[in-house]
Amino acid sequence: MPYEFEEILETIRMTEIEHFDIRTVTMGISLRDCHDRNIEVTKQKIYDKILRYGSQHVKLAKEVEAQYGISIANKRVSVTPISIPFDACSMEEFIEIAKTLDRAAGEIGIDYIAGYSALVQKGMTNGERELIRSIPFALSQTKRVCSSVNIGSTKAGINMDAVNMMSEVIKLTAEKTKDNDSIGCAKLVVFANAVEDNPFVAGAFHGVSEPEIVLNVGISGPGVVLEAIREAGHVDLQQLSEVIKRTIFKITRAGELIGRKVAEKNGIPFGIVDISLAPTPAEGDSIGDILIAMGVEDVGAPGTTAALAMLNDSVKKAGLMASSSVGGMSGAFIPVSEDMGMIRAVQAGNLSLEKLEAMTAVCSVGLDMIAVPGDTTATTIAGIIADEAAIGIINDKTTAVRIIPAYGKKVGDMVDYGGLLGKAPIMEVRTISCAGFVGRGGRIPAPMRSLTN
Amino acid sequence: MKLSEDEIRKITFEAINELGDQITPEAVKELVRKRVEAMGGDYKFEKGDASSGRVILTSFGLNHPGIVAGVTKALGDANCDIQDLSQKLLGDFFTMIMVIDITSSQKDLKEIQEEMNKIAESLRVKIYLQHEDVFRYMHRI
Repeated sequence: MPYEFEEILETIRMTEIEHFDIRTVTMGISLRDCHDRNIEVTKQKIYDKILRYGSQHVKLAKEVEAQYGISIANKRVSVTPISIPFDACSMEEFIEIAKTLDRAAGEIGIDYIAGYSALVQKGMTNGERELIRSIPFALSQTKRVCSSVNIGSTKAGINMDAVNMMSEVIKLTAEKTKDNDSIGCAKLVVFANAVEDNPFVAGAFHGVSEPEIVLNVGISGPGVVLEAIREAGHVDLQQLSEVIKRTIFKITRAGELIGRKVAEKNGIPFGIVDISLAPTPAEGDSIGDILIAMGVEDVGAPGTTAALAMLNDSVKKAGLMASSSVGGMSGAFIPVSEDMGMIRAVQAGNLSLEKLEAMTAVCSVGLDMIAVPGDTTATTIAGIIADEAAIGIINDKTTAVRIIPAYGKKVGDMVDYGGLLGKAPIMEVRTISCAGFVGRGGRIPAPMRSLTN
Repeated sequence: MKLSEDEIRKITFEAINELGDQITPEAVKELVRKRVEAMGGDYKFEKGDASSGRVILTSFGLNHPGIVAGVTKALGDANCDIQDLSQKLLGDFFTMIMVIDITSSQKDLKEIQEEMNKIAESLRVKIYLQHEDVFRYMHRI
């Protein structure tokens, strides 16, 4: 037998019992050649191009799933940040483009398409300003389009004017989608140090230095790590790190295999494997539960940040060994609404926004899928974004804010989206003001860390 | 005539030894081609992935008579070559793992999987068929 009995059973156990799946295979499509002076021609070019590359995406991914017995949770598409090729467009035209993206995504059978984005960390062009203004309308008039805006980077600092604009955009998006628990905000990410090859929607986009077409894969597998930690019992932290690394190594290898095969079937280049632990609302598929299994009583207890730092670091080390194409975010995600362990911790009053912020300093990505009261002011949201971006640019890492000021809701209420977006308890936000600070506008200069030459 | 992975590897090693100092990738390729053809085999160097036709079948459930017979009969009917078989009993619980070559089968993996799903249902066991590569990637460096 070329494989040990136990090895084969381990793989079967991972895929069948412990929720190991590939979280996403994301096809990145460049739209840089789709501009035309006539908006109708532009729209047709976008539609045709997405269909040309993407029409077989779902079918071929399903074939690979069956062949290897590993399910792929999501098949998605990311495109060039829309503000770049279509910089000459007006706000109304951008909304038309969003609808075109939505229609193309529906036609090829995917649930989300990402890249309705702008990169404005240092300043914005007229087109980027128009795109940002259009976001609330685009997200409320489409189902599948996801948007992201990068407002800071280690090299550029933090564009506070863009932060202020985005906080207003978030508020308006919440209002425009109030009938669905402000779901528009769940499809809108504000980044610092955004990465170009991130396969994870909603923050995915096909960066400008990426090729014409590429296939990126995001692994998953908190359930597998959780089981391995539970099985290891009471071992010291070095041994625990080994247990995590061994598990991650295996799932990263499987992830790379799946990604390569899907790319091969599509006849397009393989890009990267993103070794992020991404939870789902399924029971046991939770980062929160991993932290508890590591030994904290609940997420939010002192020690949580250290445990998460160790988990995140172990994930990276094992992933790097397992694949030479590591990219994207590559760390642990802690989206509140998509993780039963995190939801429970918030409901029990053990996890505050401030502790969550501290945790984001040591993992990817940031304050993700957090619901706050609908009456949270735009300046407070701007302060939260600026804090998170500061963690990102000072530590030279990606951070993001996906915050939902749920319209008409208050602390103790819930928002419930069902499916992978899950449900989130409304978290308490401090009401003391930062308006005097964020209202100054301008740009927080690039940090010392930027001067590496 | 089809040569096994081991036979091709053996021929290649012999060719490498024989060439000695004059070894180049092209020379090895040429010599292996001649040897394989002399043995009456198909020479297709491009088909480098020798494991590409192998799948792993894993079956488990409560033990009762006829499980191995049911599975192997269906595989035989589909012209699948069982290269290795291992099974264990843990109390009443039965586990079986097979390495199967499906290259000479008239059915593709998907059809065999569908066939096995039917058999799994009638035998009241679980049967999984997965391409070998997933195990190779996860458990071998």
